[in-house]
Amino acid sequence: MNWEIKTVAMFASEALREGYLGAAGYIILGVVAIAGFLAVLGMVLIYAERKVAGHFQCRLGPMRVGWHGVLQTVADTIKLFLKEDIVPFQADKVLHILAPLFTLLGTLLVLAVVPFSPGMQVADVNIGVVYVTAVGGFGVLGILLGGWSSNNKWSLVGAMRAGAQIISYEVSATLALLVVVLFSGSLKLSDIILSQEQGWWIWRAPVVGLVGFVIFFIASTAEINRTPFDLPEGESELTAGFHTEYSGMRFAFFFLAEFINMFIISAIAATLYLGGWMPFHIGGLDGFNAVMDLLPPGAWFAGKTSFLIFVLMWFRWTFPRLRVDQLMRLEWKILLPIGFVNLIAAAFMVMFGWYYGN
Amino acid sequence: MEIKFKTLVAPEIKRGCLMGNMFNALGSLWKGMKITIYYLTHPSTVVTQQYPENRETLKMMDRFRAQLTMAHDENGHHTCTACGICDQNCPNGSINVVDRKNPITGKKELDRYIWRMDSCTFCNICVQVCPFGTLEMKGNFEASVYDRRLFVYTLNKYAGPDQKNLLKIENLDDRKKQMESRDIFGGPVPLSGQSIAGLEAGVFDQLRKTEEAATNG
Ligand code: SF4
Ligand code: SF4
Repeated sequence: MNWEIKTVAMFASEALREGYLGAAGYIILGVVAIAGFLAVLGMVLIYAERKVAGHFQCRLGPMRVGWHGVLQTVADTIKLFLKEDIVPFQADKVLHILAPLFTLLGTLLVLAVVPFSPGMQVADVNIGVVYVTAVGGFGVLGILLGGWSSNNKWSLVGAMRAGAQIISYEVSATLALLVVVLFSGSLKLSDIILSQEQGWWIWRAPVVGLVGFVIFFIASTAEINRTPFDLPEGESELTAGFHTEYSGMRFAFFFLAEFINMFIISAIAATLYLGGWMPFHIGGLDGFNAVMDLLPPGAWFAGKTSFLIFVLMWFRWTFPRLRVDQLMRLEWKILLPIGFVNLIAAAFMVMFGWYYGN
Repeated sequence: MEIKFKTLVAPEIKRGCLMGNMFNALGSLWKGMKITIYYLTHPSTVVTQQYPENRETLKMMDRFRAQLTMAHDENGHHTCTACGICDQNCPNGSINVVDRKNPITGKKELDRYIWRMDSCTFCNICVQVCPFGTLEMKGNFEASVYDRRLFVYTLNKYAGPDQKNLLKIENLDDRKKQMESRDIFGGPVPLSGQSIAGLEAGVFDQLRKTEEAATNG
């Protein structure tokens, strides 16, 4: 099957030949689409998380606003809009205001390259994987700034923890990303997906793919500060960590970024290891592959991503939080060595062609 | 005298090999995940009550502690001897056992059993220490009132001898004479020596009725 990749950025560059106006129109379309998607997805994810969390803990979750509480997040958003935005006394005002924007910016920029389906992607950068890792770093910048500028001990401790944690785990996450880059031979997200036409990397690269996936999943869970790695927030010891002093809309930005990041790492993990929007194919079985193609690629992407998001929620509501030293030990003594061995093994496998469908 | 020192060795934490630990950890994490997914897929495990929608059908747990009551048997007799053990054992001083001398026999008997809900922590100590099994914790949790003086309850319904001594009296009329009625919100309270004022007599009857309905039903 021939997949034709179309992105908003391509349309914009085509329109640029005609004139600036059309290109500007496409760019605005892309930005509005991402912003709208961000807002809607944030609300849906928060509602889903609360509902799932409730049932994981023998509760019901939100039940009052709308049918089974579906409008709860809408009501919460309105409340956050109307709340007073407090900047603490003697805080660094400019940084305090900028910090949540930085965090959200990192999230927004990554969202621009997430391939939803062949015809649905805002931009298909040729260094996709590098871009994702690089831009994702904005998040920690926002967290550090927020903690630093709040003029509050808890915020500062939370932010420093976040810095240490994110920088450590980025190493493992990147090593795991490189495994897929080695196998697919490209940094471009759409190429990586197309390279999985004969099967997803998680099983086509025996063992190495699975280990890489697990490492990436654990490391990126830590990178987005989700339980069991939510030390920067650590309610029990740090009140709310880096966003202790935030309220109203600015708090909502941090919160939103956190939830969208959950979507992003699920989407990236699905793209790299589970074939993104690529239906489940087994190289050689054409009849089987044709049946799998009946489901549109967008549905495959949504299915894989929501499954991974569910797993993340499952983790969050089951596992206890790690201690700081355990956190560092897990990264530097366990994940990183395994990641290195895995990468070297992957390099050999690519060199000798020891993988399925080669 | 020679002092002998004992060397204490800190117990060593058993650590397996790295791989063993890792698989152990993964196994135990999976165990936890199995439990939570069981809860998720079985909505019958939900314990949340949709109060007040289900107010009519709501059944409180038997062990829920929300209101101290004094048990009265079918003749309206209680078994409190005014010994004051509960009074002494209450960590918050929420109980005041007011005793008096029986006008005829001169024996000590209960005048007023005063319980202050506003300072009670529902620790259940009073119920457990009472040697006569007089007290009972009930699950009536809808305790909001508009006047905090209404948190001061008189638990006994009459002042007079306890069940055992009352049953010794053969004549029913004589028994009745020994039982002087007590109101649930009447009488002096440990509130800077003030008495409950500002409430009409009819209010007590009304409150008592709802109170009885709640504690009995
Ligand atoms: S339950 Fe505890 S606090 Fe309350 S009255 Fe009894 S002993 Fe006192
Ligand atoms: S309730 Fe029990 S412990 Fe308290 S005074 Fe009466 S008999 Fe004694």
